[in-house]
Amino acid sequence: MEKRSILHMLDPMPHNSPFDINMAMDAGFDVLMPYSNVKLESVHGLVQDAIFSRGPSGVKRTGIFIGGRNLGLAMDMLEAAKKAMVPPFEVSVFADPSGAFTTAAALVACVEKQLKEKHGKELKDCHGVVFGGTGSVGIATGVIASLAGADIILTDHFSVDTALEVAKEYNQRFGCSLKGTYASSEADKARLIAHADIVFCTAKAGIQVISADVLDDAKQLKVAGDVNAVPPLGIEDIKRNDMGAPLIHAINSKGAVGIGALAVGNVKYQLQNLLLKLMLETDKPLYLDFRDAFSKAREL
Amino acid sequence: MEKPYILHMLTTAKNLSPFDVNMAMDAGWVSAVPYINVEPGEIQGLVQDAIFSRSAKNLKRTGIFIGGRDTKQAMDMLKMAKQAMVPPFEVSVFADPSGAFTTAAGMMAAVERELMTKFNTTLAGKNMLALGGTGPVGQAAAVIAAKAGANVRIIGRQLEKAQHIADMCNNEFGDGKINISAGADADKADYIKTADIVVATGAAGIELLSAALIASAPQLKVAADVNAVPPAGIAGVDAFQNGTAIAGSNSGAVGIGALAIGNVKYQAQNRLLKQMIKTDKPVYLHFEHAFEVAREYVKSTS
Repeated sequence: MEKRSILHMLDPMPHNSPFDINMAMDAGFDVLMPYSNVKLESVHGLVQDAIFSRGPSGVKRTGIFIGGRNLGLAMDMLEAAKKAMVPPFEVSVFADPSGAFTTAAALVACVEKQLKEKHGKELKDCHGVVFGGTGSVGIATGVIASLAGADIILTDHFSVDTALEVAKEYNQRFGCSLKGTYASSEADKARLIAHADIVFCTAKAGIQVISADVLDDAKQLKVAGDVNAVPPLGIEDIKRNDMGAPLIHAINSKGAVGIGALAVGNVKYQLQNLLLKLMLETDKPLYLDFRDAFSKAREL
Repeated sequence: MEKPYILHMLTTAKNLSPFDVNMAMDAGWVSAVPYINVEPGEIQGLVQDAIFSRSAKNLKRTGIFIGGRDTKQAMDMLKMAKQAMVPPFEVSVFADPSGAFTTAAGMMAAVERELMTKFNTTLAGKNMLALGGTGPVGQAAAVIAAKAGANVRIIGRQLEKAQHIADMCNNEFGDGKINISAGADADKADYIKTADIVVATGAAGIELLSAALIASAPQLKVAADVNAVPPAGIAGVDAFQNGTAIAGSNSGAVGIGALAIGNVKYQAQNRLLKQMIKTDKPVYLHFEHAFEVAREYVKSTS
């Protein structure tokens, strides 16, 4: 009998993400094992513990998922896991902290698609602003878009220092070129949106970040994407299922369109599902992070 | 292919109750995922994380269980979970801290059955003492009985604490419609003189009602004890007893022991866990629903 598939879900936070649990079950893993409060230095031991008990055929039915909130830590844990493998005792590892890698990959891929379809533009032609840019989805969005060639500013809702620190840290880590600033008042947002071609709204759920008034200031906005599915939504009058619907309040930006959270969520869902399934199907162990997520998202 | 049934099991304690995990699996949940040391402030985040990864159709195959130790905290968490839903992204939630809601429901349904079959009467208007009643089972039993019309007194070793718990039950769980009172354990010899029902819900292995006090009760009808560890919480009521007379009662009272209560509790918890799976519309389940299904079960077997 084929061994049951097991996903060991490592999380540095007190809790695993219920979202990821549902996703892993739905992708076909038979058994999920949550590990919470996992420290970076524990990864080596946990991985080696996992790889030696099932034989070479069993390791193909075994995977490791890395969650958490912090992108840098998740990447470090992915690297530590990779180093702990002892081929042929080697399993696939997928890092998706807070689902941020797949959410950001889906968001950027959706925005890229609308840019091309509605405006004939590429990411490398664009100035972009990430509102809520210092959270995990915001950072991942900024990194992916920046590596794809866009000129990206991460904004923090109150601290310029936080935004600058985050931009610096991730530029060093991934070789991207993020800028940082703050956007606390409506005036700050209006000033930032005035020159933006693309806007990513990755702030907290249930908070409206971009009002109709702010949208009014956008002079060259082409595409705005929102990942907040909990009303009030991140961008005023955007609909959760919008995929390239006109942004009615961006009256000074001809042809500007919006992408709602459920439209992004739909791509994110397919993407995370696909990556989890890849872990089950692959013959050769895979190490999946935001780069794999974005290249697969583009295919979707 | 149908998606597997996933129950996200949240507890404020440092471990889930293995009892609840077994129950969940046996009711048909395929995966029971533990979340321990959960703080009330984390409920909204966890719930919203859980509801957005499945389609509305498959959310019917997703549920949340709230365990823990504290009755009010579990009810608060149930409310928070409900508020965190974003219809149509919504899942069923069932609170049963320490199994207390289903235990209390099982006990009160069994008490009600004995009142009906042996004394041809109901809970309405009866005087009930909840001995060792300040814990989760005592609180839930008191509220269930009070809502059914009984005059309930929660008895504790410290009157002040018992009064505090009674007030909390009235305010938090009674919608202002019940009036549970409090009493000190030292005064139970007085209270037993007017008691129709006694439930013992204290710590295991402590006798809360002596044979002498049983003998002194002129109108006692039913005595129920959730303690399965000797000595019995109520003298003369053994764990297997299920409606037979208590030796030494001068009023013809019958006893219900821990294992008889446990059987109804098991059925109630099983039914609620299954109800979460079967329902079309999300349900939010607590002690009231536990009492409803416990009554149904008792009715179907008597």
